[in-house]
Amino acid sequence: MSKFIATQAITGAHQTIEKADKMYKEALAKHGPDAVIEFKDSRGGPTAFHVPLIYGYTGIIIEKLGDLEKPLELAKSLLPPTPSEHLWVPYLGETLDSGVATLYAEEIIKSIEFVNGTQPEVKGDFTYNGPIDDSQMRGWGIQLVDGRMPGFAAILGCAKSNEVAVKIVRECQSKGLLVFLAGNNNGRSVVDQLREEGVEMGYDTFIVPFGSDTEAIVYALGFATRAALSFGGVDAGDYRRILLYNKFRCFAFALVLGDMGPVDWATGAGAITFGFPAICDTQVPNILPTGVTRYEHVVSMPFDDIPGKDDMERAEKLVDKCVEVRGIKVKIAKVAIPNSFGPAFEGEVVRRANLQAEYGSKAGPAVEMLEMHDINDIEDGKFEVIGPDLDDLKEGDKTYMAIKVDVAGRKMQKDFEPVLERQIHHFVNGAEGVQHQGQRDITWIRISKGAFEKGFRLKHLGDILHANLHNQFGAIVDKVQVTVITDEKKVAEFLEHAKEVYAERDLRLAGITDDSVDTFYSCALCQSFAPTHICVINPERTGLCGAYSWLDCRAAYEINPTGPNQPVPKGKLISQEAGEWEGVNQFVLENSQRAIDRFTLYSVMDAPCTTCGCCECIMMIIPEANGFMVVSRDDYSETPCGLKFTTAMSDVGGGAQNPGMMGHGKRYVTSDKFISAEGGIKRLVWLSKNIKEELAEELKEAAIAAGDPDLIDKIADGTTATTSDELMAFLEEKGHPALTMDPII
Amino acid sequence: MPSVEIPLEKWTGQVHQVTLGAGGRKTVTVGGENTLPYLHFDGTIPNKTAVAIEIQDIAPADWSPTLLKAWGDVVNDPATWAKKAVEYGAEAILLNLKSAHPDEGNTGIAEAKAVTDKILSAVDVPLIVIGTGVADKDNEILPAVSEAARGQRIAIGNCEEKNYRTVVAVCIADGHIAIPSSPVDLNLAKQLNILLTDAGLPIDAILMDPTTGALGYGLEYTYSVMERLRMAGLGGDKLTAMPIINNVGEDAWKQKEAKVAQGLPESWGDMETRGIIWEEQTAISLMQAGSNLVVLRHPQSVAKVGAAITKLMG
Repeated sequence: MSKFIATQAITGAHQTIEKADKMYKEALAKHGPDAVIEFKDSRGGPTAFHVPLIYGYTGIIIEKLGDLEKPLELAKSLLPPTPSEHLWVPYLGETLDSGVATLYAEEIIKSIEFVNGTQPEVKGDFTYNGPIDDSQMRGWGIQLVDGRMPGFAAILGCAKSNEVAVKIVRECQSKGLLVFLAGNNNGRSVVDQLREEGVEMGYDTFIVPFGSDTEAIVYALGFATRAALSFGGVDAGDYRRILLYNKFRCFAFALVLGDMGPVDWATGAGAITFGFPAICDTQVPNILPTGVTRYEHVVSMPFDDIPGKDDMERAEKLVDKCVEVRGIKVKIAKVAIPNSFGPAFEGEVVRRANLQAEYGSKAGPAVEMLEMHDINDIEDGKFEVIGPDLDDLKEGDKTYMAIKVDVAGRKMQKDFEPVLERQIHHFVNGAEGVQHQGQRDITWIRISKGAFEKGFRLKHLGDILHANLHNQFGAIVDKVQVTVITDEKKVAEFLEHAKEVYAERDLRLAGITDDSVDTFYSCALCQSFAPTHICVINPERTGLCGAYSWLDCRAAYEINPTGPNQPVPKGKLISQEAGEWEGVNQFVLENSQRAIDRFTLYSVMDAPCTTCGCCECIMMIIPEANGFMVVSRDDYSETPCGLKFTTAMSDVGGGAQNPGMMGHGKRYVTSDKFISAEGGIKRLVWLSKNIKEELAEELKEAAIAAGDPDLIDKIADGTTATTSDELMAFLEEKGHPALTMDPII
Repeated sequence: MPSVEIPLEKWTGQVHQVTLGAGGRKTVTVGGENTLPYLHFDGTIPNKTAVAIEIQDIAPADWSPTLLKAWGDVVNDPATWAKKAVEYGAEAILLNLKSAHPDEGNTGIAEAKAVTDKILSAVDVPLIVIGTGVADKDNEILPAVSEAARGQRIAIGNCEEKNYRTVVAVCIADGHIAIPSSPVDLNLAKQLNILLTDAGLPIDAILMDPTTGALGYGLEYTYSVMERLRMAGLGGDKLTAMPIINNVGEDAWKQKEAKVAQGLPESWGDMETRGIIWEEQTAISLMQAGSNLVVLRHPQSVAKVGAAITKLMG
């Protein structure tokens, strides 16, 4: 905590309370204690919440002038002494107390001004709004709660110029924020600036001018208090819940323009208790640690030092910073491309006859990569095309491309990069007339003549990715910047870089093992039809459907904490060999409708994982071969155990736990943890041909790791054995190791 | 004869008790049982299954002729319709804001508020108001309905993942009950209940609609999802233990069996009788799966289901 800020805030609190005290005494002498206090806006709109901030914070109902005595005493009791010049203490508690005391005093001042007939304030020919009435509070409050409006910007003081004032207000509005105005700098304020520029203010335009002094901003906090009392189900006096409600549901912040005095600091300290941070366009000390607010408390961004080509760009960046510090999420209503966008176009194929341009495949490299960066290095919504665009190509041209997606986010993690990167395929395919296949450096994109004619150009890839990443991954992504490169040399350079990143990423992902993490994740998506089935997904075994890896689940949990993927703490290890943990067992019991009480993750003979019905493969015991066979969903042939995939499914599906049979994802076959309880891949005596081919490389490596480099050739498939006799003959001939291993049964 | 000891199930949970109606209206309380439906020997069932009748804010264009004949002219005036429904034994009125649907007239805030006011003054039983199912539209009209009924503890639906924040906010502000609706899935139902309570809605202000199908049209599947919800709740999971509302009439009367007279085998019998039986049987089945409030359309099935409830409550 900055001693400077603490001293300022505490001094400001003293000043405000002295002012309130003095005004109270004078008003009492003049009007008597029974003078009625009613908050009303300039149209006469009332509130049923009395003097709302004091009511919410303390439960005290103020109806008459004399009722102010109590909150005034309360404010005084909260006041700490001004810090002495030579003593440093942590100050945070004192500063926040001063802030609250200041808010009480400010509301008391406004109450007295109502009695005096000077509220809502009239300045020349302009009438300020005063407090927001209940009916408007309800209208806006609902939208704040349900997220249609992210929050409000309380703007204090006066901008550098009229143009900057207008730009700041417009930027806030473009993000759906309500704009509340108060305060002044040497007599001038944003309200004056907007008036001079002919900007209409009022409820209809979502810009509310409260008053010309700093104290008037207390109306913003009164509004926030009433929203919590109305829509949060909070009782008056339960200040803790009012503040938490606002911290988590009302995305508001203070933007302070121009120099700040003690009263500004004191008021800002009060706002911080609501979780509302302050962003200042002057040089002041920062309070960067998080705590009372979600992220930083006070951020200084001296206006002239903001990088940007002119004041307009600086104003834009200032508001962007406010949005970021308060954690406001951007929602994009519509993907702004000239052709249609939606899931209906995902399976669309662009054929040669209709081809405008093709990137990747035989035409040269096409590569896509998503990387995270520091939040300050990314400019949200910046799209750039480097090299020739579609207009520069001939119809039907085939060429190369790199799509570089750079993201940043407060909750983004390096490990989520591949999770988001894989979405590029899904997103780009959603555009009408655009076909996307592959990933990483084997991307292949076709753009149809129809899309081109409707105006689709490469920059629109940016629009697609930007909008979808924000809308679907807003919980982890705050900023998205997209660069499409078609310049031959630059594509080659980027490809080199991408290959390094892929290699590094693969290495890191390989390093995430079951032993290196303490939490697995669950997947309950299929309980709609298999009620007692639950998936537990560990790093070394993807979900049995092949669609969800451990990382996917972790990201899904970040994005939707109440969703179908929940953390499963491993808990105490029961058996390393079988992969059994207490935490997993407990989770499985609680989430299988108490039908299953144990799961081993590496055994097929003892408490194997259950299957919903979506598994890519089924593993079954072949007792006479002393091993197991694995048949894939895509393999329709007969198998040596006498069951085809579909027949076997009736025994493993639906959440049943049948030792000796298990559904799993195809990649599990190559995992280090593949049935380690039973001896690993050396027990594999039969494997569907398509899996052998698809995972040839990985299988080879797994065989080498198992100490038997020729193992894969010793494993039968549908072309070599479809009966038990054929299988046994094949295994004997090849000398399969399972034949001489310890008996399974 | 040797005596047989009836094995008793020991449940640890209990269905939450929810009371509709306040501020001078009659009240209806549902839920509160600590055992499966009507197993009186196994636990306590403090409240019987309630029966509501559905009315619409405009004369229904797509209802079975059987229903239109039974109600006659009253369908042209929601207030008269509501009064008639109470005469026929409705313990609550479900008002379907059909006319607000973008495809059905797209009426707005003023109309929604006006018809709510009208029904509230016409009858004194609790009110349930269902929006259009189009989230954006419901976000517009339901807050107005809520405000009009402030303090009278009506139930408001549907509240889905897309619009729950709005419905929850107005329910909290005006003291109402929210009806979360999930697509036949235990986990999604539970997730929605979590979201609702996380948003601050008290647990006794939720009446859940797990979505059901009519007899012959997926009833078994929806039945088993309801049954699982109920067993999870009785098993101690507070977030699945909300009382259940089922919009039976809407499901049952949509089906061919309930509204088609021509071109069917003779053995199917008279259309009117058939439709009423369809609604009655759908309702009674869902009651066995745990329904706490069934919404019906035909006066005769109201009588029949009412009689069944009396018997089942012993």
